Amino acid sequence: MSDNGRVTLTIDGQEVTVPAGTLVIRAAESLGIEIPRFCEHPYLDPVGACRQCIVEVEGQRKPITSCTTPVEEGMVVRTQHTSEMAHKAQEGMLELLLINHPLDCPVCDRGGECPLQDQALAWGPGESRYIDPKRVFRKPIPLSPLVLLDRERCVLCTRCTRFCEEISGEQFIEMFDRGAAQQVAIAPGEDFRSPFSGNTVQICPVGALTSETYRFAARPFDLKSADSVCPHCACGCTIRVDIRRGEVVRHQARDNPEVNDAWLCDKGRYAFRFPDRDRVTTPLLRVPGLEPASFAEVFGAIAERARGGRVAVLAGGRLTDEDAYALSKLARTAFRTNDVDHRLTGTQDVPLDVERAAAAGPGVTYRDLEKAGAIVVVGLDAREELPILHLRIRKAVRKTGARVFVIHPRRTALTDVAEHIPCRPGGEADVLEEIVAASGGDSAAARVTAALGEAGGSAVILAGPGLAASPGAVSMAVSMAQSLGARFAFLSRRAGDRGALRAGLHPGLLPGGRAVDDESERGEVEPLWGSIPGEPGRDARTILEAAARRELDLLYLIGADLRGDFPDAALADRALENVPFLVVQDISLGSEGQSADAVLPAAAFLEKEGHFTDWEGRGQRITPVRGPEGLSRPDWQIFQELSETLGADMGFSSLEALHTEMGNLLAPRSVSISPGGSRREPRPEAEGLELFTYPLLVDEGRLSVDADELKAALGTDSFVEVNPGDATRLGLAEGNEAVVRTEAGEARLPVRVSAGIVEGAAFVPYNQRGFRANVLLSGTTRAMATVEPATAAVEAAG
Amino acid sequence: MAEFEPVLTARWRTDGADTIDGYLRSGGYEGLKKALSMSPSDVIEAVKASGLRGRGGAGFPTGLKWEFTAKAQSTPKYVVCNADEGEPGTFKDRELLERDPHQLLEGVAIASHAIGCRTAFVYLRGEFLYAGRQLERAVAEAYDRGYLGRGIAGSDQDLDIVLHRGAGSYECGEETALLESLEGKRGQPRLRPPFPAVVGLYGAPTVINNVETLSAVPHILARGADWFAGIGPEKSTGTKIFCVSGKVARPGNYEAPMGTPARVVIDELAGGVPDGKRVKAWTPGGSSTPFLTDDHLDTPMDFESITAAGSLLGTGAVIVLDESDCVVDAALRFTQFYAHESCGKCTPCREGTWWLTKVLYRMENGGGRSEDVDVMVDVGDNMLFKNFCALGDGAVSPIHSSIKFFRGEYLEHVRVGGCPLRERPALGAAEPREAGVTGVVELGEVLR
Repeated sequence: MSDNGRVTLTIDGQEVTVPAGTLVIRAAESLGIEIPRFCEHPYLDPVGACRQCIVEVEGQRKPITSCTTPVEEGMVVRTQHTSEMAHKAQEGMLELLLINHPLDCPVCDRGGECPLQDQALAWGPGESRYIDPKRVFRKPIPLSPLVLLDRERCVLCTRCTRFCEEISGEQFIEMFDRGAAQQVAIAPGEDFRSPFSGNTVQICPVGALTSETYRFAARPFDLKSADSVCPHCACGCTIRVDIRRGEVVRHQARDNPEVNDAWLCDKGRYAFRFPDRDRVTTPLLRVPGLEPASFAEVFGAIAERARGGRVAVLAGGRLTDEDAYALSKLARTAFRTNDVDHRLTGTQDVPLDVERAAAAGPGVTYRDLEKAGAIVVVGLDAREELPILHLRIRKAVRKTGARVFVIHPRRTALTDVAEHIPCRPGGEADVLEEIVAASGGDSAAARVTAALGEAGGSAVILAGPGLAASPGAVSMAVSMAQSLGARFAFLSRRAGDRGALRAGLHPGLLPGGRAVDDESERGEVEPLWGSIPGEPGRDARTILEAAARRELDLLYLIGADLRGDFPDAALADRALENVPFLVVQDISLGSEGQSADAVLPAAAFLEKEGHFTDWEGRGQRITPVRGPEGLSRPDWQIFQELSETLGADMGFSSLEALHTEMGNLLAPRSVSISPGGSRREPRPEAEGLELFTYPLLVDEGRLSVDADELKAALGTDSFVEVNPGDATRLGLAEGNEAVVRTEAGEARLPVRVSAGIVEGAAFVPYNQRGFRANVLLSGTTRAMATVEPATAAVEAAG
Repeated sequence: MAEFEPVLTARWRTDGADTIDGYLRSGGYEGLKKALSMSPSDVIEAVKASGLRGRGGAGFPTGLKWEFTAKAQSTPKYVVCNADEGEPGTFKDRELLERDPHQLLEGVAIASHAIGCRTAFVYLRGEFLYAGRQLERAVAEAYDRGYLGRGIAGSDQDLDIVLHRGAGSYECGEETALLESLEGKRGQPRLRPPFPAVVGLYGAPTVINNVETLSAVPHILARGADWFAGIGPEKSTGTKIFCVSGKVARPGNYEAPMGTPARVVIDELAGGVPDGKRVKAWTPGGSSTPFLTDDHLDTPMDFESITAAGSLLGTGAVIVLDESDCVVDAALRFTQFYAHESCGKCTPCREGTWWLTKVLYRMENGGGRSEDVDVMVDVGDNMLFKNFCALGDGAVSPIHSSIKFFRGEYLEHVRVGGCPLRERPALGAAEPREAGVTGVVELGEVLR
């Protein structure tokens, strides 16, 4: 071996030096030599099943498979380009692969983008000598409402089953039988209920696995495609959006080793119809019904109300970094207010420093997880809330042996690779404090402390968005990171969240996390923006309370599904009813739009240029695949034009100019986090169960409109989940109805009894079929609740 | 041959030799006692010096295999006896298990001592019901008499044996597929390296030896490596059990020194071809070893000589075809077996055996074309050494060798539109079982 663990070998006469352990197939790729393959996939372990990648190695008696053979010093490899043996072997292998393949390419979804088709064309024999009958199976078999299986087309590469085993850990499908009868199969009566099932379709090298949403929908040459970033959550998965005749037909993962590897969750893949449904395509003005108007008329109406009036701005999670920046500037310079917020999830107990640090620049990355000896996940159900982070945590366990601890009231899907530390909702800070204090012994807390100690500075603490609803917990997580020498990340949930924070869609923060009330920090922004009000503004909840009390003149909602997202449905309703002038800027009307006084049509993510910043703080570019629908425009452009009517000068009229200005303010700054909290107030004792909620991956959110196949495969009706002990004590039984009561409201929900949830807690998913949990909430995602059998409730009422 | 004294099969004709009392009466467990008095490395040296090579077909030096495992750093270590005898024409391990199970257990115990194993496994072909009962009884007796369990044979060594019955897959005789199966997984082979000697059963260093190999070990210990090495040629030492079947007067297992000429095995031991007919073709080591012809009958039956003659000693399973037998039919039968037993993991074996079965079936039943002969040769070329494991390579043997020696007979099948030798329905005349796959199959339904 040569120095630094690098190895030099010769492939087709060219010398190449690669790290020791590199597979021959990879080394060849580094020289631009592509060796055909089917079973090999860069993110899956080598298996050597298809035997397509055979090459000749000097001194080896037998041919070798380049996908399973690591390089050796001085190795001389000859691929199909220079070895007659390799060429013949590959040609022969393709002929063998095709003897039982139906060759129904003209009606196969894969036709035109099929590795079997492409490689048969490039390296196959052209004609088959096989004249006997082919293998026949019933087809297609629905594995789930999303994924269909055609066993005749299958080349048995096992990429799909290996994905389920190695990557998602959800082994719904497996190889059955043997010989030519070998086939992909699923247990009778089981559905492929994995939220990562669509990846198997994308990595299938033939048309054996197809998506219900894309079956017979398009030919590759009919598609227009553009590179984008998934708009569904803060994972930042890079995607390719495919449209046919202007309509979206498919999302596919783009290879991105920094972020999503080659994967996508099923929501990101299959909830793609929203930009083509219920679009608002023209500005609207209330006269008294909502009627089409010109942008000038709407801008005029807004200007009239805003001048001298009290304006507040609330943004949802779908804005690009550029949109968020333009809005932040519009609010401060044109509306002259700091009453701006993007955090629609209610009361947040998050130290301002944590947000300042997140706004200042990138932090912990996906890659850091693979370098981390230990990972503590707290307040996050990763598979449901940030699914690709869930996969990357699993990868860290599998590839580098990271030890993972999950502190959560429910047993999450990481349980098989992590130690689950159950925790009462609201009790997170106590558990974290125990860990900080632990020294020796065999408690869970001591194991975490020991693992973090062993991991040294590589350890990572991931605080989920839900942790903000737990008093003192984020602060305690910061303390823990500081005292145990771990890195810390407070995770955002929605695609636009981190960008909005970076841009200053926050009542106390300007771009880059600069404090509004810090004269010198404000002074860094003012040369570009002009003077900015120096008093921190009101947060989302306070803004809504002001609106409900008729203390606002204009409420401007941008991509904000207030009735859906805000954890106090009654307050959202009162605010929307009582605000004198409501402006809604969005891609579709939604329920807020129905009651709006003015509506501005926004372009969808796939119609504009810009960036999304993921939870890591990594900005990634999106590009338009089509022009804006109707008269809709990119949000930043609407803000820029509106500012002119308001008599303010945004200082840019092109995206390039906006970028330049934004780049100056958003260059990474270093912000130190002051020590987190230590001893906290004991929690007040209260009656009932601690109700907590967070959204499940597949829910009734607005971006999942018309994603019927996805919901059929993975969606659930709403439910209330309790521990068996509580169920017995309260007379609740699985499947029976229960009445859940909080001070905010009540609901009848089917009961789920699960040992996976801690005693004393009740979980209601945030937004499933049949029920939205914010009816039960008063401004935060936790509440005290009573849960009793529905029959008892009826008797009591009677 | 009269002066040859059988070794592994010596007890076969003695009533009661399969019981522990009978076994002990005839010098049983002396080899183990000897081994336990030696250091593990001395035991390995003795086996190395004996020249014993694996009797499962590959002929790998047994002592070397033990040494690799003994030297592997991690613990625990395991001994696995491969008793999944499935090669067509091979039936020596079955008889060894049925008639002398303690001989195997003693070999397993010696191997365990040599490599430092405290739990050994016997992976037994599931269909071997009687052999399984014999082995179970022998294991119980050995525990009872202190040759298994705590402190075996009065030593401070412990050894447990786990008997596992296979579920009917030929592929599980492949050592890594066997390990997968033993671990409860699908019986498909593993990538090598790492080799089982380093990463084997449950990730632990593992020795996997054939029944006949382990059965020879007690004798080597009891009578000395030199004695064993003195039998047979220099590189293929010891005795070998030849399983003779097909067109011979007395089919059965015959133990003889390595290097005994095939003619002696067929004519003298097995009584020769009946009815005065000639040997047409024969396999030296089962269906996966290339056919030889009557021109090769003077070849000594040892690893080197048989390889030099263009075939492989394999398991020493001599299947004899006489001049009235159809070579195409024989090749079809063998190929159907491989198509049926292919695990499906790799393309050449899975698809190649399917294809060859289809062509041979046509040829034997009247649909052959003259170009099919070269197609079969080329499909065989495209399979050979490109398979994941040896199963697919073995499947090519009957094809290539039968065409090499009997191309004319294939072309005659084409010319007359079927089998020219057929007086009765050909053995392979039934529709190939895999043809059933052309029926519509429900998900999860087994195709056979």
